[in-house]
Amino acid sequence: MSLENAVIAEGLVKNYITYSRKGFFGKQKRVIHALRGVSFRVKWGEVFGLLGPNGAGKTTTVKIITTLLLPDFGKALVNGFDVVKNSIKVRESIGVVLNVERGFFWKLTGRENLKYFGMLRGLKGKDLEKAIDRVVKIVGLDELKSIDKLYEEYSLGMKARLALARALLHDPPILILDEPTLGLDPPAARGIRELLVRLARNEGKGVMITTHNMFEAEIICDYVAIISSGKISAQGTVHKLKRFIADKIPISIKFSGNVASGLETVNKLLFEATLSPHIRIKEVKDGFEARILVESGEEEKVISSSINALVSKGFSIRRAEVVEPTLEDVFIAVTKGDKENAVIND
Amino acid sequence: MPSSMIDVFRAQLHSSIYWYKNNKWMFFSMFLWPYLLVGVMLGLGALIGNISLFSKRVGVVDPAFYLLSASAVATSSVGIVDAVAGFALYNRWLGTLNYIFLTPIREAKLMIAAGIPDSIITPLISVVAVAPAALYFEGLMGELKLTAILLIMYMSMIPLIGLSVLAATALLFVREESNIISSITPFILLLSGVFYPVSVLPKALQALSTYIPTRYVVDAAKLAAKYSSMPWGWIVIILGILAALGAVYNGVASYAVTKAEVAIRRKGVD
Repeated sequence: MSLENAVIAEGLVKNYITYSRKGFFGKQKRVIHALRGVSFRVKWGEVFGLLGPNGAGKTTTVKIITTLLLPDFGKALVNGFDVVKNSIKVRESIGVVLNVERGFFWKLTGRENLKYFGMLRGLKGKDLEKAIDRVVKIVGLDELKSIDKLYEEYSLGMKARLALARALLHDPPILILDEPTLGLDPPAARGIRELLVRLARNEGKGVMITTHNMFEAEIICDYVAIISSGKISAQGTVHKLKRFIADKIPISIKFSGNVASGLETVNKLLFEATLSPHIRIKEVKDGFEARILVESGEEEKVISSSINALVSKGFSIRRAEVVEPTLEDVFIAVTKGDKENAVIND
Repeated sequence: MPSSMIDVFRAQLHSSIYWYKNNKWMFFSMFLWPYLLVGVMLGLGALIGNISLFSKRVGVVDPAFYLLSASAVATSSVGIVDAVAGFALYNRWLGTLNYIFLTPIREAKLMIAAGIPDSIITPLISVVAVAPAALYFEGLMGELKLTAILLIMYMSMIPLIGLSVLAATALLFVREESNIISSITPFILLLSGVFYPVSVLPKALQALSTYIPTRYVVDAAKLAAKYSSMPWGWIVIILGILAALGAVYNGVASYAVTKAEVAIRRKGVD
């Protein structure tokens, strides 16, 4: 285990014991297997997304990584420090957002709240003021002129920004955020996403987020892990995961020209160009669309040869694209159990 | 760098000051509480009982001064227990507990240091509130007595913090969502003899009251109300008892919290 990685989790297991009432005095013990051997790595300068449905174990994982919960088994290193044996060093290394809706004192202003949490971390005097000004500017609360308003007057978007400001206050090398855009309106969510990407790319921070917003994960995460029923069902780059669920990739080529009279000719032409038996041509509004199913990894080659073949026969190309599965397709396939235990490391 | 207990103390002190600044009416009302308490007690006492008989039974010369001091002790004790033992519960309700526990410091140190600022502020407010009354009843001697009571109250704060940390640890461990601490404070007040002498309690409770720190502050208040000058000899004895209780309770609390840390983190702190 080296410092190549900001966070390393290996075989994390966590069981909760709960009791349900049985009759008036009786109670029944129940063991909930929250995590069943979760392993992943978060690299420096990358945004890592832990995706999963509700109750999959995302928050439990975050709590273990942030030292708020001890694992039953397994090991986690944050910035090289063990979350169990060296929790204080881990806490020094991380900025955390657990719930953007709460977590501040309602009767204090945003600035007073930041001062409180900054002081807890040993910041004081001019250093503290500078740190507050810096993070307020980073998260854009200075533009909203809201930092001196009482927290109870904050909108959800402002609360999310303040939560992120607190996480950045001591300039930690690692950020861990549990559903940081949950409930935010699109502009606020976009602002937070752009900021997270900037912090990873420009400042080299290790950023780990949990989310079940597939759109968000797809646009900001460099690497994702899908957790389901306490197990990592698949992990890899978004691109690789998409390839993983789709054995065949659909390509769509829209073109115009006189094809109606010689559909078979065009079919043959495209077959020779692609050598794919799965070709379907249909008439669309401004011409024709050919959909070709190709083996995963072949799509670029097939697109260019198809375009060349069509152009050589006098057709004009309007659009050509690879119709990729979305991360949502991956998520549903993996969490439904259609595809399991896929660990795709780049 | 890891945080120190001083960092936690400073942060909590600032947050309390900000809170009072932003809740001015709440702040001013705190100065009225001892008078309201005494007003109700003297009013009810005059209506259904006899104030001079009360003075005789409790053994004080000036019941108004005694009751004011006792009220200040009562509100301070409740404030201290609430500040330390209620800290986890209050922050859990607000959703701030997780973030506070992310401070790079041992949980035991955090919980002790976080309770100290309010444990200083609350008795100070109570004593400042009754200072005009003390001046009215006993002149400068009244103020001197009040200052002595405040100092003793601060000494009693030390063991009380230890007791409260034990309660806070239990609260975190059992993950109790209701304010079980509020049921402890009336018991502490009863055993302290704040409003009724300990001597009339059953023997078992009398014995138990010797372990309650606020009992000695009430004793000091009684002594102050009994004599025209401060009985310094008695005060020194009381301070000695409080120092001993402080050492025992805080020692036990530190040990218990350190032992409970792992168990609490195994269950999760929120």
